[in-house]
Amino acid sequence: MSLKQSAYQSEKKIIPYLFSSLMWCGGALILLIFLGLIFELCWQGRQAFSAFGFHFITSTTWNPGNQEFSAGTALIGTLVSSFIGVILALPLSFGCAYCLNELLPQRIARYITAATQLLAAIPSIILGMWGFFILVPLMAHYVQPFLKHLFGPVPYLDLLFSGGTFGVGILTAGLILAIMITPFITAIMQEAFANTPTMLKESAYSLGATKWEVMHQVILPWVQKGVVGGVVLGWGRALGETMAVTFVIGNAHHVSWSLFMPTNTIASLIALEFSESAAGSLKMSSLMALGAVLMVISFFVLFCSQLLLKQVLKSR
Amino acid sequence: MTANDVAISIKKVDFYYGAYHALRDINFDIHAKKVTAMIGPSGCGKSTLLRMLNRMYDLYPNQQAKGEVLFDGVNILDKDIDLNILRSRVGMVFQKTTPFSMSIYENIAFGIKLYERPSSARIQEKIEKVLRQVALWDEVKDRLHRSALGLSGGQQQRLCIARALAVEPEVLLLDEPTSALDPVSTAKIEELLDILKENHTIVLVTHNLQQAARCADKVAFFYSGELVEMNDAAILFTKPSQAKTHDYITGRFG
Repeated sequence: MSLKQSAYQSEKKIIPYLFSSLMWCGGALILLIFLGLIFELCWQGRQAFSAFGFHFITSTTWNPGNQEFSAGTALIGTLVSSFIGVILALPLSFGCAYCLNELLPQRIARYITAATQLLAAIPSIILGMWGFFILVPLMAHYVQPFLKHLFGPVPYLDLLFSGGTFGVGILTAGLILAIMITPFITAIMQEAFANTPTMLKESAYSLGATKWEVMHQVILPWVQKGVVGGVVLGWGRALGETMAVTFVIGNAHHVSWSLFMPTNTIASLIALEFSESAAGSLKMSSLMALGAVLMVISFFVLFCSQLLLKQVLKSR
Repeated sequence: MTANDVAISIKKVDFYYGAYHALRDINFDIHAKKVTAMIGPSGCGKSTLLRMLNRMYDLYPNQQAKGEVLFDGVNILDKDIDLNILRSRVGMVFQKTTPFSMSIYENIAFGIKLYERPSSARIQEKIEKVLRQVALWDEVKDRLHRSALGLSGGQQQRLCIARALAVEPEVLLLDEPTSALDPVSTAKIEELLDILKENHTIVLVTHNLQQAARCADKVAFFYSGELVEMNDAAILFTKPSQAKTHDYITGRFG
């Protein structure tokens, strides 16, 4: 047998070669699109960045009359509303996932799981309208007065719940966000619960542990990674969510300690002002710069949580 | 034989996975402070029976048992049995090693803390005691606070046995405890069974007939959901009374 390659064999080598180059192209394309986006946003926003410098991020002024723009208010609004969303969604999704995977009989759980997945498919504009017509009045009439009554006498905390009870505001936006991201976090946590080895659970039960003890001492450490992953994904979504938030946040260029006060987020500000900005104007450039800021904080959040995750895993 | 010798008495037991009838009319006694081995081909119901003795099947709603399993004079298949207490008295060790992802110390303390609020001195003392019992103390005493996942397979399984012992069960159920282990670790576990039976009733499910012959005092042979034969190990392996048993132990099937 000759050791030289036959024509057939060299032909055979072409296919894996083609395949791997195709895969490389796909991977490179993603990176290119991503870098292109960042570049484009920064390029379009250069006017704003050079006009306001670092003040663009630290200042909270938004005054089209004086041609003064900045990201501060919207940046705070974005971070706080998404943070509220995650804080509210976390226990909700954990309870959901635990209940669906460990407590409910399977045939009932199957339907509820399907329902939570449907919840993820609701267009955000629908949730926005629902929030505006149902949630906002509920907040104004019941929830906000109650919170005010509860925390009003507490020093410092009363600041968070001061002001008029209009229903709109950052707390309501956080609530809507929580509803929107719960299905995502739940799905990831369910996956994590399902991946807990049966024998591990059984050995905890075999020692006589109760469901609660098994959950928080055996299952929880096991699903930790999944929980963090779910939270990161949910947070990422909450940061960029536009329509639902725009409906309920009140859209005011105003920073306040109070969770009841109308404010705005980067995404809602861009959505509202975009159609009213002339191409090439300083305002349009500021909106582009806002977009760049949003991308940067999204990455920052992802990066931090990855770091956190590594720490958590290392310490174990 | 006096009633005192019997730890668990199984009477007319049937077991179902949904509609599937996995065990039929099982009757036999498990003797106190003896090693009882359950052997038989895969799917014969021996593990099912084992999981009945601590009601592990209760975790799964479509599984149910009928009949009577008397332990300490009580039918443990009754609905009003406190499963946590039952499982503290009937411990279990699994086929795969199942250390929790905590330190060695915490793995054992987990079980102790389920039943009492012990001082750390008492935990320490108990941990040392059970680790010595399973001959693991010298190997791990310097790294009690490191992750149990860093131990070798054999060490992990001995840790799992120690963890079960820390709860002070009277009965220990072992579901093919050495099937994932190398011969040296297996030998260590088998030696351990000899010591443990001084104070514990041991029920061992195994695929390994030599293991049953080496370790067990009593052997029960199961075939397709039925108990074919139960006898002293020496008798069952040399003069089985049933043709099926003879065929199985001589390797004609299984």
